[in-house]
Amino acid sequence: MKKNIKYSICFLMMAFCASCATDGKIHRPEAEADPFEGFNRSVFEFNYQFDKYVMKPVAKGYRAVTTPFVRRRIRSALSNLREPLSAANYLLQADPKSSAISLSRFVVNSTLGLVGTFDVAEGWGLKRDHATFNETFAKWCIKDGPYIVLPFLGPSTPRAAVGMAFEFAFDPVFWATYNDANIRDKVAYSYAALQAVSLRESAMTLTDDLERNSVDFYAATRSSYLQYQSKLRCFNDVSDGTEVYDFDFGIEDEDMAFQEMENE
Amino acid sequence: MKKNLLSVLTACMVFLAGGARAEVNAGKAETFVKNVTAEGIEEIINANVPQAEKDARFAKLFNEALDLDFIGQFVLGRNWRTATPAQRKEFIQVYRQLNISTWSKRFDEFKGKNFVFKGTSPSNSQGQVFVNSLVPMDQGEPAKVVWRVREKNGQYKIVDIIIENVSLAITARNEYTAFIKNNPGGIDALIANLKSKI
Repeated sequence: MKKNIKYSICFLMMAFCASCATDGKIHRPEAEADPFEGFNRSVFEFNYQFDKYVMKPVAKGYRAVTTPFVRRRIRSALSNLREPLSAANYLLQADPKSSAISLSRFVVNSTLGLVGTFDVAEGWGLKRDHATFNETFAKWCIKDGPYIVLPFLGPSTPRAAVGMAFEFAFDPVFWATYNDANIRDKVAYSYAALQAVSLRESAMTLTDDLERNSVDFYAATRSSYLQYQSKLRCFNDVSDGTEVYDFDFGIEDEDMAFQEMENE
Repeated sequence: MKKNLLSVLTACMVFLAGGARAEVNAGKAETFVKNVTAEGIEEIINANVPQAEKDARFAKLFNEALDLDFIGQFVLGRNWRTATPAQRKEFIQVYRQLNISTWSKRFDEFKGKNFVFKGTSPSNSQGQVFVNSLVPMDQGEPAKVVWRVREKNGQYKIVDIIIENVSLAITARNEYTAFIKNNPGGIDALIANLKSKI
C-alpha cells in the first residue's frame, strides 16, 4: 500500500515534469524565471514558520545533547547508507568506476568503519562523492523545469522533486525492512527524522547567516538554489569553455558613472 | 601539409582573437589571489592579536583586494541607472560595511583550512579571469571556490567569489532586484534595510 502511494507520487511528478519543463539556464542575471512565485512565496513562508518553530528548535536540541564528534559519526553513518544509491546512480550515468568506488566504500565502511560511523575507505584513497537521481536525470538531458518550493522539503524543481521521490522509493533502508511490518514504519520514520535533524543542524550557521543578511530571504534562497542546480549538465552538452557563472560582468559606462559619483 | 598549415593559421587566429578579447595576465591574477588568501590566513586568522586589530586588518585587506565600487554597481543591476549619485554612493558605502562586518565575523571559521589553487579559466568579460581553488573539508569532498579577478590599469581586484557554483554577486543582484521590485520605497528602502543589518 505504502509502496503504491510512493509510486503514484513519482508518476504524478513525472507527468508534471513533462508538461512544464522549461529551459532552466540562468546565464543572464536577469533571466531568473519563477512562474509560480506567488505560490512559492506562500509555501516558503509556511516552511519558514515550520522551521522556526519545529525544525530549528529540534536541531538546536540535538546540538545541545550531542558533541561535534558524535554528530560527525552520525553524519558519516547516514552518508554511508546513501552509498548504494550513489553506486546505482553512477551506473545510470555510465560511470562504472565511480560506481565501484561507492560500492567499495559501502562494504568497507559498513564493516571496518563500524556501520559507517567512521570513513575508513577515505584513508584508502576511496574518496566520498555522492550521485543523486537529479544528477542522473540532468545527465540524461532532462530539463529541470521551473523553480518550485515544496512544503517541508524546500526549494526544488520538478526534476529534483522526482529525483527525491526516487531516492525515497529506492532507499536501501526502506527495502531492508520492507518484509518486517513490525519495524518497517518505525525504522522509516526514525531514519527520515534523523536525516532531517542532522541536515538541519549542519546547515544552521549557514542559513542563520544568509537569513540575517538578507533583505529578501526568498529571492536569495531561490538564486542560490538555481545557480547550484545550473552546474548539473547534460552529457552531450557541448561546452564552449564558458563557465556557467561567467555572466556578463562588464559595465560600459562605468567610468562615467563613477565620475558622476566623485563629483557629487 | 595543406591541412597542417590551415590548422596553424586557425590556431593563430584563435589566439589573436583570444588575446584581443581579454589581455588579462592569468598567472598574475592567480598570484594576486594567492597572496590575498595567504595574507588573510597568516596576518588575520592565525595572528595572535586582539579581535579589534583583526577586524581592522580584515577591513583593510577587504578594501584593497575587492573592487567594491564595481561589485556594488553590478549588484544594483538595472536600478543603478535610475539611482541618483547620492543613492549610488550611499548604497556602495552600506554594501561595503555590511560585507566587512559579515565576513570578519565568519572569518575565524576558516581556521585550520587552506586553499589549494587549481589554475585559471578564461572569462568572456573584458580584462577578467577566473582563479580556481579548492578548500579541503573535514568530511567529504572539498568545496570549490572560484575567484573572479578583474585587471584594470595593471591592478588586480576580486570582483566576485563563486562557492560551489553560487556567485555571491549574482545572488545579491537577484535578491536586491527582487527587493526593489516588491518595495515601494525602492533603493532608499533597500539602503535603510541594509543599514539595519550592519
